[in-house]
Amino acid sequence: MSCPKTQFLLQEYFSDDLAPLAREELGKHLANCEYCNAELESLLLTQSTLRHWQDQRVPHWDRGLNLFRREHRAPAAGAGLWVGWQWLPTAASFAMLAVLLFNLTIVSGEHGFSISFGPAADLQAQLTTFQQLQREEMQSLVTRVEDRQDNSNVQLLQAVLEQTQQSTAENLDRIYAYFEQKRIQDLQDMRVGYQQLVDSDYETIRSLNQLAQFVSYQSEIR
Amino acid sequence: MSLINEDEALIAAALNGSAYAWEKLVKRYEGKIYNQGLRLTGNASDAMDLMQEVFLGVYRNLHRFRGDAKFSSWIFRIAHNKAVDMKRRKRLMSAQPRSSDQDAGDDFDNIASEASYEPEVRLDEVQQNSQIVTMLKMLPMEQRLIVELKTFQSLTFEEIADMQDISVNTAKTRFYTALKKLKSASEEDHVLS
Ligand SMILES: [Zn+2]
Repeated sequence: MSCPKTQFLLQEYFSDDLAPLAREELGKHLANCEYCNAELESLLLTQSTLRHWQDQRVPHWDRGLNLFRREHRAPAAGAGLWVGWQWLPTAASFAMLAVLLFNLTIVSGEHGFSISFGPAADLQAQLTTFQQLQREEMQSLVTRVEDRQDNSNVQLLQAVLEQTQQSTAENLDRIYAYFEQKRIQDLQDMRVGYQQLVDSDYETIRSLNQLAQFVSYQSEIR
Repeated sequence: MSLINEDEALIAAALNGSAYAWEKLVKRYEGKIYNQGLRLTGNASDAMDLMQEVFLGVYRNLHRFRGDAKFSSWIFRIAHNKAVDMKRRKRLMSAQPRSSDQDAGDDFDNIASEASYEPEVRLDEVQQNSQIVTMLKMLPMEQRLIVELKTFQSLTFEEIADMQDISVNTAKTRFYTALKKLKSASEEDHVLS
């Protein structure tokens, strides 16, 4: 009591893309062949037994939160200023430059106003000196940033070249880990650099700002 | 908000460092992954190990997830691969003392500290589950996986073939063979009881 077509037909029965015509044929055969019919019944019964699975509750676990918090603490620990920047170390370096450029604009802005200002000579000299200092500082900063970027780019490139010689998924993970490590390190370096810059220039920036406010206040009055 | 979009929003937030979003994302899938683990490994402690490995894999690769596939398909693919890995590892280590497979997951904290959880008891809680597990245990892993993907995850043979890197026909044959084997096993069981 067996049928040579059973395996082929029932295998097709469970496939998802059975053509209508084939399904019709299958139906006809099943209606006439007791063996295939019985076999199908019991296979379906088996499948339905499996489907009686009842989902069980997951035992308590930490859901990887300790790891998550550990790895996300470094970039998040900085004050609010840094939060938006954590994925953009490059933007951070531009922002550093922007701070310096901002000073410069104030300074050159002063230039225009200084004519209508009382103690012009003194202020003019002061501003010119300051402008000079700012230029030099910015120049050296740009050089520093370029140097560092170049260095890390070369390192990254070397790492990538070494790693891709055998490009398995594990290596990709390693490359990524390297990038990630690099990014965080860059970020930290940049934060330190920025902080130093802000600390050292804070006083000058503040007095310049006050000056600028005073000047625009004066010019508004007139 | 649709399910997929909510996944994507959670992923984006988690990538931005939100532990809350990460936890929500895990909560959405841990039940499915854990139960899949129970069916594939047949015991709660391995299911737990497997689930942790899956989520560690998800965590490590989250930045690589692109919205072009559904997150659920992506996570089940990771789960599938981890199950295959685990099976391979177990086979390799079967000669060694059991303690050595404890440090498999690299840094998810060990859940064994949770005193309330008692592997065998938990599986027996649901009687028909232990019957199903007994049945599934008779299958070699590759057949067990195909039954899992077809019967419980409702994947098409094409998706299964793609995941397992086999032809669609092989997938069909493998599923049929597995089902037949389960059928005779449960019939024998019936005769005995
Ligand atoms: Zn027949």
